[in-house]
Amino acid sequence: MSTDPQSTLLESAPAPAPSGSTAPAAADDGAGWVSARPPRLAEIARRLFSFPRMLRDNWDLVSTSVRRDLAARFQGTVLGVAWPFLQPLLLFGVYYFIFTQLLQQRMPGLAEDQKAGMGVYMFVGMVAWSALGETLGRGTGVIVDNGNLIKKLAFPSELLPLNVVLSTLTMMLCGMTVFVLAACVSPLWKAPTAALLWLPVILLLQAFFTYGLVLFTSTLQVFLRDTQQIIGMAVTVWMFLTPVFWAPEAMKAESVAVHLPLITSNPTYHLLRAWRGALMGDVYVPPSEYVSGGYAASVAAIPHHLGVFALWALGVYVLGYAFFVLSQRRFADEV
Amino acid sequence: MVRTYALEAEGLGKAYRVYSRPIRRVAEAVTFGRYRGHHEFWALKALDLRLKRGTSLGLCGANGAGKSTLLKVLSGTTAPTTGRYRIDGSVASLLELGAGFHMDFTGRANILLNGVMMGFAKRDLEKKIPEIIEFAELGPYIDEPVRTYSSGMGLRLAFSIAAAVDPDVLIIDEVFAVGDMYFQKKCIDRIYEFKRRNKTIVFCSHSLYDLRQFCDQALWLERGNPQALGESVFVTNEYASFQRQHIGVAEEMIRERHPLAPAATTRPRTELPSIRDARICRMGTAEEVYQINTGDSIDIRVWWQNPAGEELDIQLGIGFQRGDLTLCAGVATHLSGVKLTGRSGCTILRVPSLQLLTGQFLVPVVMLDGEGVHRYHEFLMPENLTVRNYTKEVGLMRLEHEWLQSDAPVPAHQRPPVKPAP
Repeated sequence: MSTDPQSTLLESAPAPAPSGSTAPAAADDGAGWVSARPPRLAEIARRLFSFPRMLRDNWDLVSTSVRRDLAARFQGTVLGVAWPFLQPLLLFGVYYFIFTQLLQQRMPGLAEDQKAGMGVYMFVGMVAWSALGETLGRGTGVIVDNGNLIKKLAFPSELLPLNVVLSTLTMMLCGMTVFVLAACVSPLWKAPTAALLWLPVILLLQAFFTYGLVLFTSTLQVFLRDTQQIIGMAVTVWMFLTPVFWAPEAMKAESVAVHLPLITSNPTYHLLRAWRGALMGDVYVPPSEYVSGGYAASVAAIPHHLGVFALWALGVYVLGYAFFVLSQRRFADEV
Repeated sequence: MVRTYALEAEGLGKAYRVYSRPIRRVAEAVTFGRYRGHHEFWALKALDLRLKRGTSLGLCGANGAGKSTLLKVLSGTTAPTTGRYRIDGSVASLLELGAGFHMDFTGRANILLNGVMMGFAKRDLEKKIPEIIEFAELGPYIDEPVRTYSSGMGLRLAFSIAAAVDPDVLIIDEVFAVGDMYFQKKCIDRIYEFKRRNKTIVFCSHSLYDLRQFCDQALWLERGNPQALGESVFVTNEYASFQRQHIGVAEEMIRERHPLAPAATTRPRTELPSIRDARICRMGTAEEVYQINTGDSIDIRVWWQNPAGEELDIQLGIGFQRGDLTLCAGVATHLSGVKLTGRSGCTILRVPSLQLLTGQFLVPVVMLDGEGVHRYHEFLMPENLTVRNYTKEVGLMRLEHEWLQSDAPVPAHQRPPVKPAP
């Protein structure tokens, strides 16, 4: 190529003047250079810890996108914003009718004022779980689906999964509000107590946990398009492994003892226990020859469960974010 | 610290990884790169660049030359593979108009959504919304869903949002073709205004006129390789002459490199009518002249070829365009009822007395189809035409005129009515 007359043209063109004091070799990355070098460990750590600052700087973008996402779900519907409340209300009604009235399915030995126990237990579990499952289902494809934005606009792409997390958490909060209101006005369940004050902590930890997960899966989806299929199945399996529709206290003592390590090593087990403690108060199942018994929901156990879940959330967030930061610079080429 | 350069790049290069099948990417990942499952496609190679504040740089080159890749790298959407770059000050990039529009929302709502995407603070944006709406001139449609817009209207809205951004460095990928002629003019004016305020602009265009008009500096890329960098007139001239000489060669090379391109089924470009060369000469001579006085006599000689001969009707058009792209005069063979026959020829436009006043004029020569609609080829003169005028007349052109005195000093309708005689 060097004998090509065109390439010599470049040398004959007026050469840019040397820059003098700002010699390029002396310029380090602090001088604003952008290069091909992959991010170092220190940079990943910096990004992890400066996440709140990034969030503050881009808050307008985050809030507008989340609002847009929520508005888009109900755009053009007649009932509009009533939908996020109607759906859980219907769900609650169905659970109560089927499990409590029709099947007469109850946790054995519950106090008289807690006879709706199983329906409420399932409802709270389902609302909390569906936020996580839905985030994974919708969020895994979020980077690939927004490929056009990633290629054409320079903006922090870690906000795309965050939008999904925040909008599904908002939907979940609507469902939880329905429950709290129903418990306050109806005789079905006792009114919530001061344990409700745990809610902000639970929400924050759940946000970090799901965010870390969806950062990981949405990044993986960029490089391996099979991820979405795998996640779809994994979420279903995970849901059945988590006590959403069943309670370990209502199982036989022997089977609980055998599977206890498997049950309790699941982070969402701890998450749901915390949710149920905060919303349902204490629900005690007396042990018998059929069931192992114990507290199906307990206010006193919230700190323990939240502590375990916080470790999980931190670990998942750090790993997910690190994986994302390492891969981020290749997104525009792959989507 | 204020740096000398608004934009610096050293050895900048970009390679895309191409995997023939997804399993190779997995294999590469699980062996930590020891197994190499991809081959690299270099879209940009070893570019050194320094731009002072307030300079505008134009990129030219064929499709796939790496222009858009360079803009993407500089705007930060994709990372370079080799080398490094830095930009002093804030950057805004317009790689595609309307990226991120949400079809179900109204134009007004999309201003907000798209604006925050481009890095606006919401508070600033709300102040600018009236200005954006006014610039887009969508009328009542601004409160209709974007889904109902025509594509031109969408582009107008997108450009209006982008035009409200006020960065230090603006990166634009061919956005001159926005909407109708009226709106295009508005866009160009807006970008000119930006340039006047001493901002740095990097943009790419296939229109060498725009590049010459607009840019102090130009960079010519060819299959990722920087070919020439320097003053825009110099670089565009080099590029234009390369295009003329190497169209055949380039096609050979492309076919060699991409054997999948169907060579036999499409008609090679060399068979289409084209302009071989064009010169401005003193009337009746072969002496080339590009600095003339108002009233001088010139010939514009155009050498053309039409390999299809009689099967394909062609027409020639020649325009005189002032610096701000105002077309001052335009003539064409089909407008004068002249026919171009044969497979090649030299047609002369004779202007016995050029009436343009002082200014720099581009003289585009265009080869058109029989109806004068499709442009087969646009030819760039080696130099602009500079016209000098030594009288004190003002305006664009000298008007053929004379001054006379009438013998009726009062306008007809102001005369007192004359009573008809009884």
